[in-house]
Amino acid sequence: MSIIEINGLTKDYGNHKGIFNLTFQVNKGEVFGYLGPNGAGKTTTIRHLMGFLTPDQGKATVLGMDCRTKNAEIMKQLGYLPGEISFFDGMNGMEFLKFMSEMRGMTDTTYRDKLVELFQLDFRGRIRKMSKGMKQKLGIICAFMHDPQVLILDEPTSGLDPLMQKIFTDLVLEEKAKGKTILMSSHSFEEIEKTCDRVGIIRSGNLVAVEDIHNLKEKRRKTYVITFDSPATAKAFAATDHHDKITVNGPVAKVSILGNVSGFIQSLSKYTVLDLDTESSNLEDIFMQYYGNSDQQKESKGGHKNA
Amino acid sequence: MLSKPLLKASVKLNYIVFIIIVAVLMMYLPIIISMYNPETQDSLNEMLKALPPEMVAAMGFGEIGGGLLSFIGSYFYGFLILLLPMIYAIVVANRSIASHVDKGSMAYLLSTPNTRLKIARTQAFFLIVTVTLLIAIVTMIGIALSSVLYPGELDVSGFLLLNAGVLLLYYALTGIGFFASCFFNDTKNSLAVGAGLPVAFLVLQMISNTGKETEFLRYFTIYTLFSPKNIINGENFIISFLALAVIAIVAFTSSLYAFHKRDLPL
Repeated sequence: MSIIEINGLTKDYGNHKGIFNLTFQVNKGEVFGYLGPNGAGKTTTIRHLMGFLTPDQGKATVLGMDCRTKNAEIMKQLGYLPGEISFFDGMNGMEFLKFMSEMRGMTDTTYRDKLVELFQLDFRGRIRKMSKGMKQKLGIICAFMHDPQVLILDEPTSGLDPLMQKIFTDLVLEEKAKGKTILMSSHSFEEIEKTCDRVGIIRSGNLVAVEDIHNLKEKRRKTYVITFDSPATAKAFAATDHHDKITVNGPVAKVSILGNVSGFIQSLSKYTVLDLDTESSNLEDIFMQYYGNSDQQKESKGGHKNA
Repeated sequence: MLSKPLLKASVKLNYIVFIIIVAVLMMYLPIIISMYNPETQDSLNEMLKALPPEMVAAMGFGEIGGGLLSFIGSYFYGFLILLLPMIYAIVVANRSIASHVDKGSMAYLLSTPNTRLKIARTQAFFLIVTVTLLIAIVTMIGIALSSVLYPGELDVSGFLLLNAGVLLLYYALTGIGFFASCFFNDTKNSLAVGAGLPVAFLVLQMISNTGKETEFLRYFTIYTLFSPKNIINGENFIISFLALAVIAIVAFTSSLYAFHKRDLPL
């Protein structure tokens, strides 16, 4: 059963900005990663789901209700974390959480208190004086505290330290186990690969792929940065065929490998290696790997965009 | 109908501005009332004649009739009452919607099970009630002070009518400010219209008071609809009252409609 349904959703801001004919579903109990570079249209899509914008064409529904007209009804069962965090001036963290509980008509605060403890939120200070990470924690607690069926999270881990990112990941997995439906946007693959079941990739307002995360991971090339003892060694290594793609720059070689790496490691053992590092592939790389060709065609068609 | 927690939050956010405006009004009102003295009124007129007549007229101090009501009517209701509550209306109207949209905190309000209409209604209700309270305080203190200082001198029903006029004027002004707040995405534009328009009206009013050549400007300012002299003398003020009421109703309903219908950049 699909909880979130987006059907032909279009919002044209002109100048190729906006979102165009998006269609995808998020099913019950699923964590859906919504991936795209900055300015691709992730937040615009989420604004439609929240009922802030009226679509030019198409429709977005949550739990079978139209997002624009039934938004108050939807919000009873939805938790939202905005991409840009800004709260009420002059409130401290706890006052804000209390205010939001009252606005939602919540009476049970046990889960909220549990989350405050989990994220070690120091809620006494004024929100205005809080650090980015602290505000992000407050926003996350605010989104989860009423135990909603659906969660929409816009770049949830930005500003969090690695420890808090881990806590957040665990929380998402826990909620998933409870059968919650979650849509979270991100511009980094690493951020969502631990939690998501499916990934939708958006670029320049167009949905280019909706993929199962396992497929994506399998198809994913890893990049290793190897520093050899001399440029000559690097060149000699480049002549072997235990890699898919290699670029050599002096003694440093960047190697991309798809799938099994044992052949690569065996051949590497014959050379003097000073340093071996993995490079986390960014979204653009992943994107280019899977959709590179078709995308380039698209880019050249839409080439007047930057003219 | 209304959101109680939001109402509470609005009270908390705005009570300081309210208190400051009331305090300043309460500083001027007793001074002006205590200046009244039927015997020395002639000498006060003499003093005003020493000032440039244009300046006196601009402040609305011209043509003082007899009696305490006319005295308060021209010295307090000619200018001060037009300025001070206006500041309150401008600040609070802008804060009610536009600043939440501008800062992004509106996203939180709308992520709760409350419709946009309910949020906007609550904020409009807060504005209307507090403006009413502001004028009510001025009215009550004015009556109390007059009855202590000059027992039996004040025409109370005339004074109430004068304040009813002020109240209607402020419903209309607040309506304009609220509309700007609901209509624009950022504080900058909301203030440009919500504050710019009332201030421009006030300046036009002052200029139009100064002489025959500029008198036509009175047709371009809302303040023409509030004339203490006409109200006190009972001269065709009903039309003005009706016009102000219509402006207020149209402004508030179109504010709600605009906020309900538009795209929010949250």
